[in-house]
Amino acid sequence: MRHQREEDYLSGNLTAMIDVVFQLIIFFVCTVNMQDKAIDERIKLAMAPNGKVDNRKNPYEVKIDISDKGVISIARFPMNTKLLTTILNKARADAHGVEVPVLIRADGRVKHETVRRVMDACTDAKIWKIKFTALKEKA
Amino acid sequence: MGRKRRRSSFQAGELNLTAMIDVAFQLLSFFIITAHPVDVLTNLDVFRPMNDTKATSDNTKVIRVTVFPDGFTINERAVDSRQLNALLGKLADLDKTQTVVIQCLNESPHGKLIELLDVCSKLGLVNLSVISSGGA
Repeated sequence: MRHQREEDYLSGNLTAMIDVVFQLIIFFVCTVNMQDKAIDERIKLAMAPNGKVDNRKNPYEVKIDISDKGVISIARFPMNTKLLTTILNKARADAHGVEVPVLIRADGRVKHETVRRVMDACTDAKIWKIKFTALKEKA
Repeated sequence: MGRKRRRSSFQAGELNLTAMIDVAFQLLSFFIITAHPVDVLTNLDVFRPMNDTKATSDNTKVIRVTVFPDGFTINERAVDSRQLNALLGKLADLDKTQTVVIQCLNESPHGKLIELLDVCSKLGLVNLSVISSGGA
């Protein structure tokens, strides 16, 4: 009987536990980069080697992408300036008086005309401070 | 007989790790294939004046820079990228808090504006206002 108990102890079936562990790993692998997936990687940012790096995250931050073709989008969802103004107004209302930082990720080749339309939408939403994202150091 | 039983119970304790190691290497391969170096990004702050005409008219401590598709002008004086750095540097030495009013033509590429903002950031000029002009 004693030997039988030892055998049970040593041959414990760990398959289920390992399965669950790997399921969790796969879950984290799949979900961890979801925020990065929202960024349009086709946008070629202009170089600004002297800019300051600020890694602080703001929950009210709005990132607006502008492609080289002049397409305005947020999280890969294309939109016109009217919808953009509506979104910015909503973001400002949700912030309850806190300043809403607007980050414009525009392709270096896009004409200023499109950037201007985005800036005008910010102005219409009473957002006066704008940040332009640029590339400080290429990987 | 007793000895034989003990030996068999010892062998039953071995765990087959082949599947786990297989999956571990699969994960390792996945990370190696999908990992990519991350670019270092910077954010250049600008202000959008509430009223363009007011911003450009009354303040005497204003540097007016116009961005063209092929160059810049500082206070109506045409400069290239190298001269821009030198001339803005001289003006920045006088007062770093003075306002730089940037007028950008619609036809100019966004990269030109970033180039100017980068120079301003390098020189410590922080009060940057961007206004836009329709003509090319």
